[in-house]
Amino acid sequence: MADFADTRIWAKRAVFLLLAGVITIAHLIPLDLRPATWAAPDILLALVCVWVARRPEYVPVYIVGAVFFMTDLLLQRPPGLWAALVILLTEAIRTRHRDLRAMPFLAEWGFVMLGLLVITLANRFVLAIVLTPQAPLGLTMMQLGATILVYPVVVLAAYVLFGVAHPAPGDMRKIGQQV
Amino acid sequence: MARDKTSEDYFAPVRRLLVGVLVLALLGVFAVWRIDSPRVEKFRIAVIDRVLPSFDWVMAPVNGIANLVVDFQSYQRLAAQNQDLRRELQQMKAWREAALQLEQENAKLLDLNNVRLDPKLTFVTGVVLADSGSPFRQSVLLNVGARDGIIDGWPTMDGIGLAGRIAGVGRETSRVLLLTDTSSRIPVTILPSGQRAILSGDNTLNPPLDFLEDRAVVRPGDRVVSSGDGGVFPADLLVGQVALGTDNRLRVRLAADYQRLEFLRVLRAQPHEIISDPGGLLTPEIEFFGPAIPDPAALSDAGSVDG
Repeated sequence: MADFADTRIWAKRAVFLLLAGVITIAHLIPLDLRPATWAAPDILLALVCVWVARRPEYVPVYIVGAVFFMTDLLLQRPPGLWAALVILLTEAIRTRHRDLRAMPFLAEWGFVMLGLLVITLANRFVLAIVLTPQAPLGLTMMQLGATILVYPVVVLAAYVLFGVAHPAPGDMRKIGQQV
Repeated sequence: MARDKTSEDYFAPVRRLLVGVLVLALLGVFAVWRIDSPRVEKFRIAVIDRVLPSFDWVMAPVNGIANLVVDFQSYQRLAAQNQDLRRELQQMKAWREAALQLEQENAKLLDLNNVRLDPKLTFVTGVVLADSGSPFRQSVLLNVGARDGIIDGWPTMDGIGLAGRIAGVGRETSRVLLLTDTSSRIPVTILPSGQRAILSGDNTLNPPLDFLEDRAVVRPGDRVVSSGDGGVFPADLLVGQVALGTDNRLRVRLAADYQRLEFLRVLRAQPHEIISDPGGLLTPEIEFFGPAIPDPAALSDAGSVDG
């Protein structure tokens, strides 16, 4: 039984890694190299928030760290800083995932929105302190807004396509798995 | 649930410690990057060099499909396009004739004056593998690298105009910092007036001209070429045309077509020979003018006489 549960968790982890890979590669495809006047949502970030809020065991902290450090390197961001901030955010969500389950969706959305806003501002703040060239504020805010707006869509997709939803009471113990 | 709780309580401090260590390690990487950027960037290039070429097979079909869509859209405007192309071709023929005549005249004049021009630039052409992946950075990855003799700082062009410069070379890939990136600065000359300026990218399609000495002599439509100041770029590569932005700043409409950068030429720019010493004075052998240096032997003799 435990083996069965384990393989299922690892399968979901593999699905998450695959999704992260697909999203990153999609970012890297050189379709139009003119500077963008708008910013698309950061779907990977929304995805990791959704999965951690629903099934934290599918997205352990080392996977979050590895994925975001890799995207830091690939997408030409200052390496490490964004990954560290995302880990802090996911940890904040992870410790509250039991409370989030009890909350209505709007409250969860609001909580995640606050978290995204905090790490985005923290990122800019740290970059400003160490005098690193920054992305335009307007684009960053646009991306943040788009990420927040896309969050419910990602929640729906996670539920419909990948079966990632809040565990129902007693859901896990049927197969003898530790939450 | 109770058992789960206790096990979680037991593991929580250790786990928190490990997460803290992980976060600190990542912040450490960031700090090291800030302090010793070249080394970490080298690491980044090495990672990209390892990872991205293996995803070529994913990108190729997607690129192909996207291009197909664009081409299909252009089918719909086929008739109008055909008309335009014919008209353009007519104009181009006239220009070609003029260019040929000018070239002959130029060659004749150069020959008469015995002018020695820069040796011709040779180039390596690379395929664009990937872009920067974020709307905040403007750079592309080429499939040529140190293996092909690419060196940091070489200029890259598409067929017509300057597109950027090499910033980071891996073994099989190299990164091109486009002129539109916020950290791109290149010295340029504005042609009829000969004004020097710096073209500084600001993440828009038309980068502004900075440090212009006299705005009055620069008009929209003037040609902008690289100036070769500071030994960064070879001189006289076409960059684009001056345009007046809506914010009333002088900007450059880039000649390179940023919408479809598929191939980029990396120019093998040889560094200029730098003349560093002012050159010795041409004097006759060793001939001394001015008060004679007292001979040390004579001095000691005088001392002994006095004593």
